[in-house]
Amino acid sequence: MRIALEHLTKKFGNVVGVEDVSLDIRDGEFVAFLGPSGCGKTTTLLMVAGIYRPTAGIIRFGDRVMNQVAPKDRNIGMVFQSYALYPHMTVFGNIAYPLKLKKVPKQEQIARVQAVADKMGIGDLLDRRPGQLSGGQQQRVALGRALVKQPDVLLFDEPLSNLDARLRLVMRAEIKHLQKELGITSIYVTHDQVEAMTMADRIAVIQNGRLQAFDTPDDLYDRPKTLFIAGFVGNPPMNFVDVEIEQTNGVYYAVGPALRVAVPPDRGAAAAAHGGRVVMGIRPEDITIDPAGAVRGRVFVVEPLGRDDLLDVELDAHTRLHVLADPKLKVSAGDPISLKLDTQKVQFFDVATERSLLWQ
Amino acid sequence: MATATSQREQDMVSPTDGLPFERISTGELVLQAVYSALVTVMLLEIGVIVFRVLEPLVHHAPALLGSDATIDETFTRTIGNALMTIAPFLAYAVAGHKMKPLASVDRARALGAALAAAAMVFVLVTMGQYVFRIGPFAERPSLEMTLRQTDAGILVEEVVSGGAADRAGIRPGDRITAIRRVEVTLAELNTAVRQSKVGDVIRLRVERGDEEEQFPVEIAAAMEIRPAALAAGLVIALLIAAVAVFWPGGWTPYALLIAIMLPLAVGYLWLIIATFSFRTEGLLPVNAQGEVGGLTLRNWEFLWREATGSNPSIWRVTLNTLVIATAMMAIVLLVSSMAGYALSRMNFPGRRTFLSLTLILHGFPAVTLLIAIFFVLRNIGNIPVLGDYFGFNTRGGIALVMVAFELPLGVWLMKGFFDGIPWDIERSALIDGASRWRTFYEILLPQIRPGLLALGIFAFISGWGAYLIPQTYSIGTKTATLAVYINQLTSDTAPVNWNEIAAVGLFQMLPVFVIFIFAQEYLLNIYAGGTKGSS
Repeated sequence: MRIALEHLTKKFGNVVGVEDVSLDIRDGEFVAFLGPSGCGKTTTLLMVAGIYRPTAGIIRFGDRVMNQVAPKDRNIGMVFQSYALYPHMTVFGNIAYPLKLKKVPKQEQIARVQAVADKMGIGDLLDRRPGQLSGGQQQRVALGRALVKQPDVLLFDEPLSNLDARLRLVMRAEIKHLQKELGITSIYVTHDQVEAMTMADRIAVIQNGRLQAFDTPDDLYDRPKTLFIAGFVGNPPMNFVDVEIEQTNGVYYAVGPALRVAVPPDRGAAAAAHGGRVVMGIRPEDITIDPAGAVRGRVFVVEPLGRDDLLDVELDAHTRLHVLADPKLKVSAGDPISLKLDTQKVQFFDVATERSLLWQ
Repeated sequence: MATATSQREQDMVSPTDGLPFERISTGELVLQAVYSALVTVMLLEIGVIVFRVLEPLVHHAPALLGSDATIDETFTRTIGNALMTIAPFLAYAVAGHKMKPLASVDRARALGAALAAAAMVFVLVTMGQYVFRIGPFAERPSLEMTLRQTDAGILVEEVVSGGAADRAGIRPGDRITAIRRVEVTLAELNTAVRQSKVGDVIRLRVERGDEEEQFPVEIAAAMEIRPAALAAGLVIALLIAAVAVFWPGGWTPYALLIAIMLPLAVGYLWLIIATFSFRTEGLLPVNAQGEVGGLTLRNWEFLWREATGSNPSIWRVTLNTLVIATAMMAIVLLVSSMAGYALSRMNFPGRRTFLSLTLILHGFPAVTLLIAIFFVLRNIGNIPVLGDYFGFNTRGGIALVMVAFELPLGVWLMKGFFDGIPWDIERSALIDGASRWRTFYEILLPQIRPGLLALGIFAFISGWGAYLIPQTYSIGTKTATLAVYINQLTSDTAPVNWNEIAAVGLFQMLPVFVIFIFAQEYLLNIYAGGTKGSS
């Protein structure tokens, strides 16, 4: 089922929840809505579900305009962060409820519930009540309830946020696998960029109710279109330094108060064309410790992450860079350090509009 | 803080504490137990001092803390007396309790030590009681002479020299025949003395040889040692100590609960006994002569009494009450749950105003509205058909008025319960394919079942016990409820049979009692789990 949102807007009184969001979701695609808390991603999802009525704009499923269609007639399945199971019903009752409402014959109900429950690995829990299940089991029941009516669209509202880290990893893989296997168009709301990056075919980044970007995970990571995306996607986040671009002997240099690095001609040219001050962005993993490096500073803090050490390097009083370093180097706070920037990966942004100077 | 406390405790423990019991002599153990018991008594006595000696201080304590509350004088006195009374018993219990660790090693030795300690504490307590002239040593009104009943009157065997009788001039060998001109036996004389106060004068008619003379004896206060009381005290002390040694720790909360429940239970017991008795003295049923017995069913005679002019049949009244209470429960549940849902989940103009207005109505004293409601009911009565069922002097009308007074509570209660259900459950049901109406009764209502039950029971009980409204808006006995019926029993000009009133009261209470027995499980059973963060 193809889903199209056209200039979708939702206002609560004077408060704007979602403003002018337009995007096109292909049939069978897995799309993540990514953004910080309160950015309007859940509001958008609830409009797709039919719980909220849009203030303006159009929602299409296929070619059909769904704005006035009641939730029960949209044939969607939804999984909530709070699971939203019916506590007074058994697991069977919960999963069978959508079928009961569709007046599916009793025998078929039992067969379909059993099939879904077996697929979710909860086939032996059908007599229990939700209160007797663990969080992971409850989430599987919720998923089973969403799937049992064979929906055209699956909606996920931060379904893994209440699970512990290990279980989250397992469920993440399971949901992704299920979605690919069943080929149901899915929208997945999350504030966790790792979840969005690992699961989604495309990610819609939403900030303050506005769509910032709608791209594949790789594009968002390597070709961020705005400063917000560059900073939001990726962990640890990208470093930003205010620089000016100079051209000397055909070579472009990014010159900041504490650094001066040569940048590749294509990127340098695009930034230089803008002229004046720009924001340079570079990810921590694109900076290496190199005694011959051009950028010098002093280690301010060392945060061991296990596989890497995250260094907070002070270049001058106003400029700091996050750098990922090999723990074997045994860097400690206060050490002087030389850094080499992988300038093939640098990003440039307009200071005022915060738009990328490289990708439009 | 914690370290300071434990430090202090370490300083306080005796050097023998913590040693294996084999290396401590029994005598030492007994002394330790006595010491602990005395400390307990001391602490309680400090409480007594605070509440009795420093009474003014306690009375002014709230004011010192900036509160308007007042502390009643009888309250402090009662507390002081209560502490005073339980102090010795607690001391015996503490003495026995001290031996508990030993009991797990050597039962016989623990029991022996506990009994010895309790006996010593008892001696100390008795000494204290002697000093303060309380307990077995309390002073009582006395004639201060020894008497014996003979056929020829009461023989004076001995006179305490300088005592009341001696001062009055009575000598051993005299025979007391009467108080003034009323002849008395020894038992009657003793009763008369016991009931008089110190300083009262009793005129005793005395035969001395052939002469007969009257002696006015001024009653004095004399300490009369009662060996029976002392022996009973010792037995109780030993018993408490022995029980304390083997008292399982898990029983303590139950014992406390039983102690607190006892006055209530006795009240109900009395109510039940009273309804089957001619008269009661304490918990004992007595007959007209004041002898134990006198069990009767005449108080329950109202059950089969035919209706007479002004007295309706109890069954008619019960039916009225049942109809009103049931109607009230049904209407309150229906309206409250729907209104509560709307107020909790929907946004409509005037929502806040409506909420505050219902709250004001809830605080409105019903009495002030009586006249206004009377006119409303009269006007409803003028409407054809409807007026026959909901007008003035109808059960429907009474139920309607009571529902109106119950609704504010119900609506707010239901709104609170609906507020507690996460939105996601409702959204989930809508997406699963349910209509809003179906979501309401199939998904939301089951989740607030404890609330519905509680509100239903409240509504039923308030309808069942209704008095003011049915009394006001009914003429004669057509719509009388049980409470009105009870009132009619007291307003008769004939002498009131309080035991019959107790019987009707018990009759009225029974259904409520049954409801609570069956519903308490549901009232306590709040759903758990199913939604994260809402359980």
